[in-house]
Amino acid sequence: MEKGKKLIVEDLTISFRQTQGLVRAVRGVSFELNEGETLAIVGESGSGKSVTSRAIMGILAGNGVIDKGRIIYEDQDLTKISEENFHKIRGNQIGMIFQDPLSSLNPIMRIGKQVTEGMIVNGKRLKNRYKSLIHRSLMEIYNAKYERRDLKETYRREKKDLKQALKAQLQGEKVPEQQQESRLKQGADAQALKKEAAQRLQALSEQFKKDMERNKKRIKDANVAIGPKKVEARKTVKQEWHAKKQETKKELAELRKKLSGADNETKKAVRKEISDTKEQLRRFKKVTKKEAVERALKVMDEVGIPEPRRRLRQYPFQFSGGMRQRIVIAIALTADPDILICDEPTTALDVTIQAQILELINNLKEERNLTVIFITHDLGVVANMADRIAVMYAGKIVEIGTADEVFYDARHPYTWALMSSVPDLTTHERLLSIPGTPPNMLFPPQGDAFADRSQYAMKIDYELEPPMFKISNTHYAATWLLHPKAPKVEMPEILKKRIKTMTEGTGEVTSG
Amino acid sequence: MSRKTRKLKKATPPEPLQEGDNREIVLSVRHLRQYFKSGFGRNKLVIPAVDDINFDIYKGEVFSLVGESGCGKTTTGRTIIKLYQPTGGEVFFLGKRIGGGPFELKEKIREARRETRHKVAELREKMNEDIKEAGDNANRVEAIKKDYQKQMDAAVEEKQKIVDELKEEIRARKKDTADENYKLMKKMQMIFQDPIASLNPRMTVKEIIAEGLRIGGEKKDKVIAQKVNEVLETVGLLPEHASRYPHEFSGGQRQRIGIARALVVSPNFIIADEPISALDVSIQAQVINLLNDLRDEFGITIMFIAHDLSVVEYFSDRIGVMYYGKLVELAPKDELFKNPLHPYTRSLLSAVPLPDPNYEKGRKRVRYNPSMHNYENDLPKLHEIKKNHFVYANNAELEEHKQRLKD
Repeated sequence: MEKGKKLIVEDLTISFRQTQGLVRAVRGVSFELNEGETLAIVGESGSGKSVTSRAIMGILAGNGVIDKGRIIYEDQDLTKISEENFHKIRGNQIGMIFQDPLSSLNPIMRIGKQVTEGMIVNGKRLKNRYKSLIHRSLMEIYNAKYERRDLKETYRREKKDLKQALKAQLQGEKVPEQQQESRLKQGADAQALKKEAAQRLQALSEQFKKDMERNKKRIKDANVAIGPKKVEARKTVKQEWHAKKQETKKELAELRKKLSGADNETKKAVRKEISDTKEQLRRFKKVTKKEAVERALKVMDEVGIPEPRRRLRQYPFQFSGGMRQRIVIAIALTADPDILICDEPTTALDVTIQAQILELINNLKEERNLTVIFITHDLGVVANMADRIAVMYAGKIVEIGTADEVFYDARHPYTWALMSSVPDLTTHERLLSIPGTPPNMLFPPQGDAFADRSQYAMKIDYELEPPMFKISNTHYAATWLLHPKAPKVEMPEILKKRIKTMTEGTGEVTSG
Repeated sequence: MSRKTRKLKKATPPEPLQEGDNREIVLSVRHLRQYFKSGFGRNKLVIPAVDDINFDIYKGEVFSLVGESGCGKTTTGRTIIKLYQPTGGEVFFLGKRIGGGPFELKEKIREARRETRHKVAELREKMNEDIKEAGDNANRVEAIKKDYQKQMDAAVEEKQKIVDELKEEIRARKKDTADENYKLMKKMQMIFQDPIASLNPRMTVKEIIAEGLRIGGEKKDKVIAQKVNEVLETVGLLPEHASRYPHEFSGGQRQRIGIARALVVSPNFIIADEPISALDVSIQAQVINLLNDLRDEFGITIMFIAHDLSVVEYFSDRIGVMYYGKLVELAPKDELFKNPLHPYTRSLLSAVPLPDPNYEKGRKRVRYNPSMHNYENDLPKLHEIKKNHFVYANNAELEEHKQRLKD
């Protein structure tokens, strides 16, 4: 993995099984996430932006299938790793803030419990220590198992391909010549073909058997190898625990000696020290409730919730919308993630509160050096947050570039349409609305998905899917308009005018 | 005369707020209050959702109410169209009073009673003093007593007269509110926020749109079908959509159905309660353009309730800013964006994100803290600070605002 890259998504394809058929929600999305940047994903509802982020978190709905593609985080492919391994990443390393703060909090659980829950569940320190000691051996087993799965898959696929190729060849020879005289020869040809195919099949299956045998041995070896490692790890952890316990016992004994014959003031102090020492011992074993609450208070203070100690005892309904969203952010932050995925965190809020939350996320990003994926359909919010922008339509990224490039030099007709359909504080002419509705992803359109709603559609748009054309090193767009042979088109007048006023720097538009 | 047979006085529409403006007024709202009560006894809570607001809406204009959620803008709209009984104030529509509440009149009655009580008590004290001075002179004491009694009776009588008048006014307002004047009220229609929740899923589009006509007494199927088709075409749907059910439409189309339902009775005035905030970005422009066309074509007056300031700026002529039940600023659009005076308006304007990264980098948010006002001695009021520009402030703040206006 290249340095400075936090996350790489490659050719991700996701579909949902439904009774009517497969809904192709995401169709080949690729992007990279650099460390410390904010990537905004923009698009209307149903364009697949939320599905992409949910796939990164590994929380796709039950009927969702990742057909193709890889999500690489810290040299691991998140589409392949097991659920147990995902537990370590989800929340701890990649956090998520959901759209609706009301429905993402449990209404009958006090806020305190909801904020501390994650820390307490993940906070069995001795167990975690034990797991980290045997992690390498465990990974070996998992890798061997993944290898088995891959082997099986490739074998099945190759077999199928071979059979299909044979069938095609046989049919292809039968159809053109049906004369009597060639029949014999043809039969001989077919025979030869069949024979050859059978041989190759044989070879394939033998190879597969060999590979499986080797893999079986690998799994067995790994399983055998882990036994002593486990024993050793358990021993180490136990020793550490005992050492800590002994140490604490000694300390306690010393402290207790101080108790006899002391006056009340010192007694009080010493007693407090004793309880602290005991707490330290408990904390060595796991994250105690007290510790979790302390951390929760700190984080709640950080996200700007006044009087956090009183607030801990309250229920979600006692909070306003903005406060609720802050709680959700606090929950995501308690685990100290490096990547934060914000799925439309301000759509349910109104302007003033939205401004507060955006400010908060920006500040947190700077303080904690977070990398953020920000999903929204509000272009104003995007302009505020994003370093880079990816515009999605019908399960594909149609344009990606830095914020300035996308806002001031957009190339895709969909980006134009999206930008000119929202009024800003200087618009006075008729808005350009996008006619029609997004395509039904049960039957993904051929060619450019936006062609039906675009006034710039050419014939090729209905036939062939446009590739990503490079505009600059960071700016790419998928539209045939960028092809050298395409006719020259200009972006809509309204947008041109707006970009002109923007680049001239009309900062006086009521900055208050 | 018995109470029932007595004819109640007809209310006359109030003087316009903006002097020297001769445009026709469609709707005027005076001292409108809407209080919600919850709980009983110790837990009783009165929430002033709308608290003493005044505005006029002129013919053919788009008047917008903006503010954060919970500031009472939707409640104002719903009270105007009589979905709620107003607690106090009056609503005049096309020159007739359509609703009113007794709140401030009741206050006045209470005050009159209190004043009289004080007056009588004072008189009694004076009388006692005079009696003491008079000493044993029985005749004089009698005369003093008679004199004071007369004064007291006069005060009480005067009070009774005021109270009777006020009570009459309360009765008149009650009657106007209860009056189901269909012909007048069908000139006012509402478009609701959520196009999914506001359409009955068991009715076809035709039934939904025709409901208003049927309530109005239209019985001929032919006429109804024709009118429904006409209005469907106006909002950009096809006549064959009439036989479908709401779930078969997309969000933008559903909102068009909601607009068609409002339009079918040919109203003069439409209250649009956040008609686009539940819609997708690309669909929002369709609905805004449609509303704009309707205004140009039919000259419909629109009261637009929203929290998205860039849409409001694009769409409306005059803007009222609300904060916790109070109308804090009221001005023509250009004036408001050029000269935002009330600190809340400034904070609201500074919170709007624009699709322009350069501007966003430099944007600084102004915070508004309601405790910055000192309203203890100097009570605030809606002042006309400049022609057609109203701001809610007390005298000290007014001076400050005036200075700001200059530069």
